[in-house]
Amino acid sequence: MKSPLLNILFFISFSTIAQTTITGKVTDKQNTAIIGANVYLEGTYDGGSTDEQGNFSFSTSAKGPQTLTVSFLSFETYTLRAAVSEMENVNITIREDVNSLGSVILNAGTLSAGDNSKASVLTPLDIVTTAGAAGDYIAALQTLPGTSNVSEDGRLFVRGGDANETNIFIDGLRVFQPFLATTNNIPTRGRFSSFLFKGTNFSTGGYSAEYGDALSSVLLLNTIDEPDQEKSELQFLNVGIGGGNTQKWNNNSLSVNAFYINLKPYQGIIEQRVDWIKPYESLSGEAVYRHSFANDGLLKIYGGLNYTNFELIQEDINVADGINFGLKNRNLYLNTSYKGNLGNDWDIATGASFANDYSDIKITNTEVTDDENSFHAKVKVRKRFSNRFKISIGTEQFLNTFSEKAEDPDFDIPFNTTFNNNSTAVFAEANVFFSKKLAMQIGTRGVYNTLLKDTKISPRASLAYKTTSKSQISLAYGDFYQAPQQNVLKFNSLLEPEKSSHYILNYLYQNDGRTFRAEGYYKTYESLIKFDTEIPQFDSTFNNDGKGYATGVDIFWRDNTSIKNLEYWASYSYLDTKRNYRNYPEKATPNFAATHNLSLVTKYWVQDWKSMIGATYNFASGRPYNNPNERTFQNQTTKSFNAINLSWAYLISQQKILYFSVSNILDFDNVFNYQYSNTPDPSGNFSRRAIRPNADQFFILGFFWTISDDKSDNQLDNL
Amino acid sequence: MKFIVITLIFLTANTIHSQTAYEKGMAKAFELWENKSPDEAINLFERIAKAEKENWIPYYYAAQIHITTSFNIKEATEIESRLKKAQNYINEAKTFSTDNAEILIMEAMLNTAYVAYNPSVYGPTLSAKIEALYQKAKNLEPNNPRAILYHAEWNMGAAKFWGKDPMSFCPEIEKAILYFEKEPKNKIAFYPSWGVHQAERVQKNCN
Repeated sequence: MKSPLLNILFFISFSTIAQTTITGKVTDKQNTAIIGANVYLEGTYDGGSTDEQGNFSFSTSAKGPQTLTVSFLSFETYTLRAAVSEMENVNITIREDVNSLGSVILNAGTLSAGDNSKASVLTPLDIVTTAGAAGDYIAALQTLPGTSNVSEDGRLFVRGGDANETNIFIDGLRVFQPFLATTNNIPTRGRFSSFLFKGTNFSTGGYSAEYGDALSSVLLLNTIDEPDQEKSELQFLNVGIGGGNTQKWNNNSLSVNAFYINLKPYQGIIEQRVDWIKPYESLSGEAVYRHSFANDGLLKIYGGLNYTNFELIQEDINVADGINFGLKNRNLYLNTSYKGNLGNDWDIATGASFANDYSDIKITNTEVTDDENSFHAKVKVRKRFSNRFKISIGTEQFLNTFSEKAEDPDFDIPFNTTFNNNSTAVFAEANVFFSKKLAMQIGTRGVYNTLLKDTKISPRASLAYKTTSKSQISLAYGDFYQAPQQNVLKFNSLLEPEKSSHYILNYLYQNDGRTFRAEGYYKTYESLIKFDTEIPQFDSTFNNDGKGYATGVDIFWRDNTSIKNLEYWASYSYLDTKRNYRNYPEKATPNFAATHNLSLVTKYWVQDWKSMIGATYNFASGRPYNNPNERTFQNQTTKSFNAINLSWAYLISQQKILYFSVSNILDFDNVFNYQYSNTPDPSGNFSRRAIRPNADQFFILGFFWTISDDKSDNQLDNL
Repeated sequence: MKFIVITLIFLTANTIHSQTAYEKGMAKAFELWENKSPDEAINLFERIAKAEKENWIPYYYAAQIHITTSFNIKEATEIESRLKKAQNYINEAKTFSTDNAEILIMEAMLNTAYVAYNPSVYGPTLSAKIEALYQKAKNLEPNNPRAILYHAEWNMGAAKFWGKDPMSFCPEIEKAILYFEKEPKNKIAFYPSWGVHQAERVQKNCN
């Protein structure tokens, strides 16, 4: 027989779970019902999903004030604190999550290549499997719109700017000498191995206030956070050999690699236009150490050392025997970065980079030694107030010391020069999402340069609006300053920074593997450096009176889906630019700026042959050059540039790849420029010499072997 | 004396109540999943996970439903948002249970879903990661039948792609079935033990 007391107890126990029914409706801002949202009381199991009309209803035993939570894919989580008894017929409006897929992106000016970026036009793999790029990530970027084909140089010429107007950053820190040391008409390559990077943002204008000292463009490279696995890699090529190894332990990883290039055997077989005395030789080594902390912080330390050596006779119309040019260069680059969480929605990204670059140059009888030390330190903090509002502020310091010594039998005493080009910058930027459709970034940057004793403030702004679910338009504006180059500063430091302003309008359409991007821009140049000699020298008179403009349209189209196993993209750039700078007598289009540039890149995977076959076509309209026999300055154009490059990667097995590539397979005869003699011949004519590639074609044959436990990884992404 | 009895009854009543709530909730979620209401099942697993605070298991199943559902969807944005959500659930699960072979296997399956959805983009970038996840799971639990089964199935896919014989992984499938039979019942309620039917389905291709 039960005691009545127990009955009462049971009653009490059950009464504590007496039920209240919670009801309501969930809609979005347009009052459309949200179906399938998860509605529940936090900390309880009580809840339900919304039905076809957005209605929900569930019962709970909870009492008093509770938190009602509504969560739904790609919407911000909604919470309501109220007494359970009041949670009846609640009308809830939830807001779209601006971080979700399908949100507008601030992309004016930017071309990104990465796994995660929503605006990606390329994948990291594309960068290195492009025919003609020969594993150089810079060469692959030259197939994107906004760049000019200047293949005798190898660096990036963006929207009417010369190569010095582009700066490169690794993990947010400046790279001071991103290219291998070379000389006129011998194209260079990026100094860093492409497999270190997981993502790339290439901005052809209107970039963030975080970056400065670049008139035209910044290239932002991000290194891999954590390698997937331990492995060893070996590379055997007709031009060199290389190897690398990755180790992982606990929260650490270390990757090392080395590469040796020697073009002597190659140049022994393939005829060159240049007379090499000491063929190109280079040895480089890199190491990256990464450590992740328990608090999600990530530390990366990168070190790279490179040694380059060559000697050649450069043809010159004014010097019958040519000019003997020899170069020995040693470059050390260190980059340490840390990013982490400071709590309370504050993030920090900080780091420092250092470079020492030493060159020993011989030009006929002149011996020049250059020694340059550069340092960059940066701290940036970001506060996230909500997904819709973020603020970044930061400061950075640049230190640069350059010294040069030139000795020549004709000089009485050696010529010595040294300068310190230091600058301090602060920047602040706000990122605002008004809705999933409308976003804005607005920032400003201030720089003080101690050498030029000059302060400049530059505003930056961009705005993006989503027109349909697949398309958007964006705008960007910014002022950009850059200190004069070292070849000027070593003779004169009483100058001002050069200035440019960018106005950009971008249209982007993305649909299921297809991307169309069109960007129009107008860019002005002010305060460009002018001098009154052929090249900057100790007796030149310098001023800041140069001016110019560049305007054009860049078109990009990519399609990965229409044809099975075929990926292709096409880039077209129209460029109209004129400037009066250096020793130009009047405004003119520089030699590096062709009006039309076109690239068509294709990659076709042949399953039966286990081969990736790539073909790239490059076209550039004729480039302007100056003919002293003509009255008007710089009014001639070369014939147009054409090249078809082919590459074939054959996967012998999962981890062994045989690679072959040839550039300019149809052997087009390309001319970049002409050099005229300084003095006319007896009949009053200036004779000339065509500046052409030092070899019309380039062949690469390589074998790539990856050794890892799982036997599945390979180096396709390094080719 | 009476006081003690009453207190005891009270405590027992309450503990039974809270335990059954978890078990009832989980059972209800599985029922929703079986009855073809995957999104409601996900919602319930998410609610349980939020209420439980430090239990990885409901997150694990919420992720699993998103992943398996994604295989039957054609629309790109939905696939991507489901997989993104699944990754978030897996990340939550990982914070409550580190070095957990079951979570690693689920993460490998998540990445496999990306590869299945867009092989040309994700195949080259995620293959090494998937492999590493299975290796790590097998290091932690060499006899885990799900690790053996799904690793073998992944390898079969790769072998097919490379023009090799996928049948060479059939002994691994046999081994997985054997370990499914021997798999000890875990003391933790709702601990993953699924997969034997999948193994039998894969085994059919071996005959």
